[in-house]
Amino acid sequence: MVQWNSVLTLFFSLMVEAMPFLLLGVLFSSVLLMFVDERRLIAAVPKNALLAALLGSSIGFLFPVCECGNVPVARRLLVQGAPPAMAIGYLLAAPTVNPIVFWATWIAFRDQPELVFLRVGFSLLIAVIVACVFSTQADLRPLLQPAVARAMPATRVQKPTQSRADNPGADLLQSGTFLLGKAGAPLRLDGGGMQAAVLVSNPMLAKPLPEKLRLMLDNMMQELRELGGILILGAAIASVLQVAIPREAVLSLGQGQITSILAMMVLAWVVSICSTVDAFFALSFASTFTSGSLLAFLVFGPMIDLKNIALLLSVFKGRAIAYIFILAAQLTFVLTLLVNLYVS
Amino acid sequence: MPSPRSTSALRLLWLDVLAILAWGFLLLRFWLTGRINVLLHPDYVWLAIAAGIALVGLGGVKLMDVMQLTRSRRPLPQVLHINFFPPGWGSALMLAVAIFGLQFTPRAFASQVALDRGVTDTLTMTRSQPQSFRANVRTEDKSLVDWVRTLNVYPEPDAYTGQSAKIEGFAIHTANLPDNYLTLARFVITCCAADTYPVGLPIKLATSRTAYPQDQWFRVEGTMITETVGGMRQLVVQSKSLTKISEPKNPYDS
Repeated sequence: MVQWNSVLTLFFSLMVEAMPFLLLGVLFSSVLLMFVDERRLIAAVPKNALLAALLGSSIGFLFPVCECGNVPVARRLLVQGAPPAMAIGYLLAAPTVNPIVFWATWIAFRDQPELVFLRVGFSLLIAVIVACVFSTQADLRPLLQPAVARAMPATRVQKPTQSRADNPGADLLQSGTFLLGKAGAPLRLDGGGMQAAVLVSNPMLAKPLPEKLRLMLDNMMQELRELGGILILGAAIASVLQVAIPREAVLSLGQGQITSILAMMVLAWVVSICSTVDAFFALSFASTFTSGSLLAFLVFGPMIDLKNIALLLSVFKGRAIAYIFILAAQLTFVLTLLVNLYVS
Repeated sequence: MPSPRSTSALRLLWLDVLAILAWGFLLLRFWLTGRINVLLHPDYVWLAIAAGIALVGLGGVKLMDVMQLTRSRRPLPQVLHINFFPPGWGSALMLAVAIFGLQFTPRAFASQVALDRGVTDTLTMTRSQPQSFRANVRTEDKSLVDWVRTLNVYPEPDAYTGQSAKIEGFAIHTANLPDNYLTLARFVITCCAADTYPVGLPIKLATSRTAYPQDQWFRVEGTMITETVGGMRQLVVQSKSLTKISEPKNPYDS
């Protein structure tokens, strides 16, 4: 009975702490969806792959969305002709390298500020490396879903207004942060010109302000209920694990330099918790796990997890996702092991 | 009746609104009943309050919207569903958890959790390590946590022998201590209840500890001595008086 109460208290404490940040993340992502035109950004991208990767990795500061929100944005970037290095850098780094996540991590780990900076630093580094690896592939299209690949060069000329006029429903569907239909079956994007054009632009930009505000609230509600549901599952797993698993078992796993990192990476992948609030989740392991493993959780989780693989499939083919996954996992492991061995 | 105005679509909209409102009320309720101190570090309570107000506001605006939609014959906005949950599940889960939360009174962690997590007078390798501690001239002004932090910096118990102590915490009957000892413990919080960890010092009593039940809060006044108890040479408080106190409003120290 006491233990049950502990689980519930833990659970609600995680929820109460995470909710403000979830709300903030959802608010930002909705505002940006309505008011920012990423095409202007693409016009300014440098040709050099490294610089493009760096730029892509840093624009999370402009588009602070978590890992659920960044996939559609990355896809819009790709389709609008952004260099692959930029789009992939953005995809991997944006969920972590942004002010909201930085603040949340700071609040959770203010006693270990080095973790906060290492989290941002490692995420940037890994994103840039993976982005540069991908930029060596001159033509990214074989790695993309056919619909996205086809939309890339040809339909860029189409204006957003053309797509909006005749099908407001399709607009709404495209503009949201998520694009998957029934579980495992991404929305078909191969419907030719009209749908490709919707992919190209952000159709929200042309709407009048009251309409934008209304759609912004709708988008917030939509993201809140999805991410809130996932947050509840994540918090429940974290609190049950913390109380149910015998302390000796956790300690032996959590104090090992290598096992702790592997355990936290698997956990990050499975739990799929939103990057805006994952710092609080990790915090519940802070007293028993090594710093390097906490860092592995915070760096790897936002890049690729069980939940956003489904989202990534709306952009990339399975092979490309496997490359990203393997590269990101290996780099995270090596970097955080270095932290365990030499820093903490 | 056109198909977009199906009852189930309308029901989903209501579910969304109720889930958001319920979470707003839940956050505000934790604040108004003071139980938020059991969940959060005091510095971050304002975040939860702000989120509660924002959720109630958002829910309120959408409530009016949905009420209008229910009455009017306007077509419903297209309800999107994202890949992770089937339609309605996210909101239903949020609503159910919020309703449960509205009935639930979180209780501050006590001896059971402290024993599970291991009460120590040291901070282990992975413990977050605050970069500062308060140096008090009057040792009886030091809190339990101050004593533990001081010990952590300079662990030799003899250095403190003879100093007077006045500390507050809850009682734990630690198994490896003799019957005339109890551990006075407190939880330290950094951010939220998930990261609290217990610290404690052994108290030497004049009588058996059975007179001092577990989880009861006490103010202990006494003198620091060095003893070998539970197989360890450590700092012990030789108690002169134990006063029952009620659980503080903010049960965790920071």
